[in-house]
Amino acid sequence: MGPGMTFSEPETLDEVCSLLSKDPEARCLAGGASLVAMMNAGLLAPTQLISLRKIPDLGAITSMPDGSVKIGAMARHNDVAAFSGFLGAQRIISAAACRIGHPAIRNMGTIGGSICHADPSADYPTAITAADAVVSILGSEGARQVAARDFFVDWLETTLEQGEIAVSVTIPPDPSNASVHYEKFTRADGDFATVSVAACLGMSDGVVQTFRVVVGGVAEKPVRSPEDEAVFIGRPLKDSDIVEFSAALEALCNPIDDMRGSADYRLKLMPRLISRALKRAQADQLVSDSGETA
Amino acid sequence: MTESNDIPIRLTLNKSLKSVFCKPTETLLSLLRDGFGLTGSKRGCNQGLCGACTVLIDGKPMRSCLTIAATCNGRDVVTVEGLLENGKLSTMQQALVDSGGVQCGFCTPGVAIALTSLLREDPKPDRTKIREALSGHLCRCSGYIKIVDAAEAAAEKAGS
Ligand SMILES: Cc1cc2nc3c(=O)[nH]c(=O)nc-3n(C[C@H](O)[C@H](O)[C@H](O)COP(=O)(O)OP(=O)(O)OC[C@H]3O[C@@H](n4cnc5c(N)ncnc54)[C@H](O)[C@@H]3O)c2cc1C
Ligand code: FES
Ligand code: FES
Repeated sequence: MGPGMTFSEPETLDEVCSLLSKDPEARCLAGGASLVAMMNAGLLAPTQLISLRKIPDLGAITSMPDGSVKIGAMARHNDVAAFSGFLGAQRIISAAACRIGHPAIRNMGTIGGSICHADPSADYPTAITAADAVVSILGSEGARQVAARDFFVDWLETTLEQGEIAVSVTIPPDPSNASVHYEKFTRADGDFATVSVAACLGMSDGVVQTFRVVVGGVAEKPVRSPEDEAVFIGRPLKDSDIVEFSAALEALCNPIDDMRGSADYRLKLMPRLISRALKRAQADQLVSDSGETA
Repeated sequence: MTESNDIPIRLTLNKSLKSVFCKPTETLLSLLRDGFGLTGSKRGCNQGLCGACTVLIDGKPMRSCLTIAATCNGRDVVTVEGLLENGKLSTMQQALVDSGGVQCGFCTPGVAIALTSLLREDPKPDRTKIREALSGHLCRCSGYIKIVDAAEAAAEKAGS
């Protein structure tokens, strides 16, 4: 710890941004589950810790009049997992949140911390990309909104500039009432994913209305291809299309070898997990189509 | 020795109100062990992985090794020492002893905290629920079965 190191708990977002903009080595502190772990490992020694704990309502989860759900940056994983206001494709968010780490980690970690940490094997980056979410950002220069797909830039890197923080994540409504499935493959329960797949599938009269499939753990950021997704719309869901889709996504992957699996292994897992996620989501759609409750 | 950037905090620790100064980056685990001499909570990994440092903060299990102590200002912290009831082991703690759920004991403080929290939320958990609550608590003596038995026994005892 450096001698000049300080800790503060501002009560306004403006104050946080102003402190961050003046000091490139300052870090805001959310749940601490990634930041403090990195400090303990000697990988990071911030000059300032700026806790977001005292900012009013930053952890709120709110259903908006237009059907979207606004999740405050400080919302804990467990609160998001338990939120019952998600509908249709929005449910991919809670499906992913309940798979993050262990109970104690879900009591601590926040959605803002997870997406700003931007680990490509983490669960939220993949899920919010599949949900077509929008991240609201505030900086000393003003506010801006960025689509989840453009928020993640590289390994542990986001579009956030110095002095900017993520304030909330807005999950748009899904009129198609899609089914979701979050397929996470791990070597041990509660670990980060080797590969994960977030799938949202809406069908009506036997044809696909909504199709979004995003893969985590296979590149520097979540992998998604709207052009290849568009092929499915208005047609029945066919195995041969899924195989082609997986092959097309593979061209966008850039996996690494690490303790969770080799690059090759990840690429072998991916098509299997995509197909499994879509089959499970489709089974749910059939149940809701026939009027039964899942 | 306090320095100028030390932070004064007040917290409820095992039911008693404490005032203390902490360093800006000091973790709650360090404060508990080195500041208060409460060495029940263990430093297994200091990375959030092993669960041996788990304490209750405002009633919920959290990792003290990943909690900056200064963020505990105004909060309620309970360690394994604080689980004692009238100076005696709580039902959950006694069940861990009676069922053989304690071997070397290193994981036990975190396990006792996690299971105490589980039984408060769900007084009759099944074995799957118990195992879910134990996820993130590594027992290197690998006595998990006895630990699950202990949780079941404690639930039964509390319910009778
Ligand atoms: C044992 C263990 C297992 C885990 N398993 C998983 C898992 O399976 N899946 C998974 O996805 N994650 C997992 N995690 C990570 C966990 O989800 C973290 O909670 C999360 O990555 C970081 O959230 P946090 O709130 O703790 O952020 P912090 O650790 O406080 O902050 C992380 C980073 O984000 C910055 N930051 C925080 N909030 C904001 C904000 N609002 N705006 C701008 N920057 C911000 C901080 O400055 C810091 O750089 C695990 C962690 C541990 C310790
Ligand atoms: S010491 Fe905190 S989880 Fe291992
Ligand atoms: S009893 Fe030895 S680690 Fe669990």
